[in-house]
Amino acid sequence: MKSYRRILVVAFALLTTLSLQAIRVGDAAPDFTGTDSHGQTHKLSEYKGKYVVLEWTNNGCPYTIKHYSSGNMQSLQKQWTAKGVVWLTILSSAQGGQGYMTATQENAYIAKVHADPTAALLDPNGDIGHLYAAKTTPHMFVIDPSGKLIYDGAIDDHPTTDTADIPASKNYVSAALAEAMAGQAVATAYTRPYGCSVKYWGY
Amino acid sequence: MNVTAMAARFLTSVLSLLLGSAAWAAPAAPAAGIAAPSVTATHLTVQLVVPPAQIYPGQSFTAGLYFKLDPGWHVYWTNAGDSGEAPSIKWNLPADVTAGAMQFPVPKRLPLGPLVDFGYEGEVLFPIPVQVASSFKPTGQNATLGGKVTWLVCREVCIPGHADLAVTRTGAATPPATPANVDADAQLIQHFQSTLPKPLPSSGQAKFESTAKGLTLAVITGSKETSAQFFPFDQNILANAAPQTLTPLKNGVQISLVKDDNLTTAPKELHGLLVLGDGRAYEFHATPGTIASTSTAGSQGLLGIILFAFVGGAILNLMPCVFPVLFIKGLALVQSSSEERGKMRRHGLVYTLGILASFWAVVAALLILRGAGHQLGWGFQFQSPAFLALMALLLFFLGLSLAGQFEIGLTLTSAGSGLAQKSGYAGSFFTGVLAVIVATPCTAPFMGAAIGYALANSAVITFAVFTSLALGLAAPYLLLAFNPAWSRVLPRPGAWMEVLKQAVSIPIFGTVIWLVWVFNQTAGPSALVGLLSAFLLLAIAGWILGRWPAKAPATFAAAIVLLLAIAVPVLAVEKLGTPEVATATTKAGAAGTQWEPFTPELVAKYRAEGKPVFVDFTASWCLSCQVNERVVLDRPEVQQRLASSGVALIRADWTRHDEVIAQTLAGLGRSGVPTYAFYPADTNKQPQLLPEVLTPGIVFNALDAVKNSGQSSGLRAQVSEPASPGR
Repeated sequence: MKSYRRILVVAFALLTTLSLQAIRVGDAAPDFTGTDSHGQTHKLSEYKGKYVVLEWTNNGCPYTIKHYSSGNMQSLQKQWTAKGVVWLTILSSAQGGQGYMTATQENAYIAKVHADPTAALLDPNGDIGHLYAAKTTPHMFVIDPSGKLIYDGAIDDHPTTDTADIPASKNYVSAALAEAMAGQAVATAYTRPYGCSVKYWGY
Repeated sequence: MNVTAMAARFLTSVLSLLLGSAAWAAPAAPAAGIAAPSVTATHLTVQLVVPPAQIYPGQSFTAGLYFKLDPGWHVYWTNAGDSGEAPSIKWNLPADVTAGAMQFPVPKRLPLGPLVDFGYEGEVLFPIPVQVASSFKPTGQNATLGGKVTWLVCREVCIPGHADLAVTRTGAATPPATPANVDADAQLIQHFQSTLPKPLPSSGQAKFESTAKGLTLAVITGSKETSAQFFPFDQNILANAAPQTLTPLKNGVQISLVKDDNLTTAPKELHGLLVLGDGRAYEFHATPGTIASTSTAGSQGLLGIILFAFVGGAILNLMPCVFPVLFIKGLALVQSSSEERGKMRRHGLVYTLGILASFWAVVAALLILRGAGHQLGWGFQFQSPAFLALMALLLFFLGLSLAGQFEIGLTLTSAGSGLAQKSGYAGSFFTGVLAVIVATPCTAPFMGAAIGYALANSAVITFAVFTSLALGLAAPYLLLAFNPAWSRVLPRPGAWMEVLKQAVSIPIFGTVIWLVWVFNQTAGPSALVGLLSAFLLLAIAGWILGRWPAKAPATFAAAIVLLLAIAVPVLAVEKLGTPEVATATTKAGAAGTQWEPFTPELVAKYRAEGKPVFVDFTASWCLSCQVNERVVLDRPEVQQRLASSGVALIRADWTRHDEVIAQTLAGLGRSGVPTYAFYPADTNKQPQLLPEVLTPGIVFNALDAVKNSGQSSGLRAQVSEPASPGR
């Protein structure tokens, strides 16, 4: 009995450390597999050697709309994927929640707004969202070629829904990518993400 | 949610978006001295509040921005939490009139799934100090104070809005002889002034210390605080959604806060707001350091809890879970009644020691796990299928032995419960250990509260409470062992003892049936085959031991079969275990009352709709829970009352470990099931806990209480409607 109890304690301790794995800038970004709007699977670890941007989105959210109606997000996607960056747009809205899209709807939306991500991952169960503790739409993450998380937070420094604020905004994602590619440390590696709460399943 | 509701929600969102951008409202020019009309936008009305009727040089007053929100919608505090944004105003003021910073009343926590926002529901007024310089000269007759207000209003979805607001007052070149007020505005300001936080009393103090997981904040308020919430003004310091653990101090409160994962350096100060149970709210800048008297926990409360724990432990002897062990204990007592008193006393003490050791082992495990941040509750052993299997096997084997298949004393003297059966001190010790293990799932009355209290407190207090529980559990046996007069009542040893021993196997086998049932629910029917096969192996091992007693080769063979018997179900759990969603007990009641599966959001949703909520925290391994459900909650008249009372019924099934339920229980100050909580519709009111042993009367009384409180406070808002708002 005694030894079994010990095993139990060790097992629980192990579970605990696993479940407490936090998303922390400077640590390895947790691996995931997701299915995109074309039915293709993407595994984060397959993109080792490349910069990866994760963008949480919800096309009904006014904060997301700010960056898509202005064309800001699309131009970021074009600018950085042209430089070899893998850009994954992730939809963690649950079915029935704002921003939930079927594959067909998402493809139509991407075509309509001329978005240009590497892929749009459909995550209606919120698995990837919860893994990264994605809080808002947009919520941005940047992962370097070694698989390390180098940025976690807001898209820029103007937490508003007004497109007029974009020109004056400092874009944290571009800054992080530019600094990292130049071999520098990322100056602003963590900010409070702003936007609508991610519409996860369960509420 | 059905499809039409979904479509309706979608439509509303779309409409809201369209309307939101059209929320511009042309500022009407009201006659001076009349309260400004409010502007109605999507899901709220907003109004600029300017109390004085005249604007004149050297004047200072408090203006305000007033929001009245649709039910369920909220606007945000200065630190919006995990998402959202506070309202703001861009002023358009006459020359020499200046407005200070917007002040924020006391917010509340707004949980949204894994996130927590800070904001306001119902209505809120943000006071703004306004100064008129002595150089002020009105242009014309009037002075118009205006501005562009922007906000974000959210429920499930968020809608940004903005409005141009303006209020016109009489402009005066000199201070009037009798300054007049616009009553409606003055009353609004006055009414909401009290919702602002206050500085700490002069005797107060706030200090914080960094810990591995976060910060420990101690605030001295001058009185013992048993209920408090902390709101950080700065973002990115704390994990907003993390539970805050309170320790009342004799003149304040200590709160354990979890830091933001990405916070790497300890903050230099903690600017925060402490909201206490009675509505007091203090704003302060805590500095690093400790407060000398922080360790003085409310000693009176502690003594009471220790006493409760002792009584709870004693009552545990009567709970159904301990029933079989009581038989074993009775048996052991009968056996020792022929021995001399001194030896019996020592047996009683060793039994107590066995119970103490087991409780201390559990305390150690709990402390380690809690230290690791895992929100675990009492009874967690019974959420592990492997543990369930081993317990079932142990009791089955013990049952076989008691029924007379073989004699443990002759052969495997050191195996499992054989230890408990063994005569001598080791036997007494392990009987104590067994009593604790079997008692675990049924938290007797008081015990849940005691453990909740202990888990939320320091290691020393946890240790004291658990020790008290252990002593309570051991007390009846110990009393008997120390009181020869009582032991004389016990029958003399004789042939009947063998009959009794065999009879004891019946409740043991009954317990095995219950364990198998629970195992089936946690591990699934495929793994069950493994466990049942293991029973067969045990029976074979028992037969070998009984057929060739005390023979080394037979013992060896039996040991191998035993090992196999243990390995089979453990492997079966790993290979065949089907992790089912724990909805086994979430089913419609007898009279059609529907229990909905628990989520904190569902509770919040019903309360937002003005419905009180009854939550049944249960688990299939908890026998007291099953008894309460069958005997009270599922009774036709109870079902009828529940159905007709408009109370939302939610069942939180903890059969499998669930972090959210564990945290909710912790929030209620409990750590185990059964727990029955009535959440009033008024979110400012604390949930009411029912006792762990239910009767229909208790449920009816609670229903009546909830109904009455619901009628007397129709408003859910943080503050009630102003007496005469003038609108």
